[in-house]
Amino acid sequence: MARLNDSAQWIILMGFLVSFAIFFLAVVINQSTVVGQTTAESVLEFPKNDIRNIRAVALETSGIADEGDRLIVVEDITSIAQRRTHAIVSLSFVPADTRMQVTIHYNNGVTEFDEVWISP
Amino acid sequence: MMTDNDKMNACGVSEAIGFLLIFSIVIAGIGLVTLYGYPLLMKQQTSADEQIMEKNMIVLQNDIKSLAYKTVPYKETSLKVGSGTLSVHHALTPSQSTFRISDSVGPDIEFHPGELRYESVGAQTDISLQNGAVIKRARTGEGSVMLAEPRWFYDDVTKTLVINLISLNSTGTLAKTGIGTVQMKLGETSYVSQNGAGGLTVTLDYTPDPTQDTSTAWKTYLTRNGWTETGANSYRFADSVNTLVVKRYDVIVQSI
Repeated sequence: MARLNDSAQWIILMGFLVSFAIFFLAVVINQSTVVGQTTAESVLEFPKNDIRNIRAVALETSGIADEGDRLIVVEDITSIAQRRTHAIVSLSFVPADTRMQVTIHYNNGVTEFDEVWISP
Repeated sequence: MMTDNDKMNACGVSEAIGFLLIFSIVIAGIGLVTLYGYPLLMKQQTSADEQIMEKNMIVLQNDIKSLAYKTVPYKETSLKVGSGTLSVHHALTPSQSTFRISDSVGPDIEFHPGELRYESVGAQTDISLQNGAVIKRARTGEGSVMLAEPRWFYDDVTKTLVINLISLNSTGTLAKTGIGTVQMKLGETSYVSQNGAGGLTVTLDYTPDPTQDTSTAWKTYLTRNGWTETGANSYRFADSVNTLVVKRYDVIVQSI
């Protein structure tokens, strides 16, 4: 009668280990298919330059003394923002003594920006 | 570990019976895998294809967003369409869904969105990209769900409601399976801005395509975003609106 030879059990154990490893890798790879919008796209969507441009123009406009002239500029800014950058912008200027308080509101449906700026 | 010193009692151990036992276990294993495992595997494959397609549709929606909101003139995406077809149903197709937007002042706006639709063969589901939203629906039954929402928004500081309407058109027919490229370019855009000092009553009527009913998805989206349902597929914007901005973008899907 042949004696039981079990000195090669490790081969079978290794086989189990390798197959479990492959199974887990398959699960991980399967997860990768369910990614739609990436972080990079979200970063690209952030309207940094739009907000900067509008802010710069708004601060520049606060130097215009005549209220009628200011309104013309504000109308232009809001109109351009709506048509070109697809954002709702509202600007208001409240003079107080020698200073000017500028309220900026920007909203493009994804990002909202609000600022109150007082001229020095 | 068994050592040589342990004497194993091997009386009654037959090689033939042992072989038969092991052999039948192996055959039973193979049988179980073919009977239950293989169909499960196929189902898994179909659902993986569907998930990939959901992702692809969101990628295409991002392309359309770039075309519409960032004035990128042209976009191209390669994608894999598995276990189904992707086809364009352009905005001039008869009998399709209609959006009718009316405020109390200006003329009504009637709009046909058109759609890019993926029809899965195995899973019995359709995923459609229409009017800037990605909607999934079961082919039988009424339910539908919005996977990605369109960019409509209400600005409560200026009391402005912005509705972006995106219609899909094509220069010819397009239907794809396997690896394919979808090329899109921006067509005409139009812009309507309606001011009402006393506040506007904005209403939206949605008439679904009878064969492709996605009204449940739109209902869920609209009622969650400030609209109230006033009747079957009729909605009214609940907040007061001083300005209504309706933008229309025409995206042309090019066929090669």
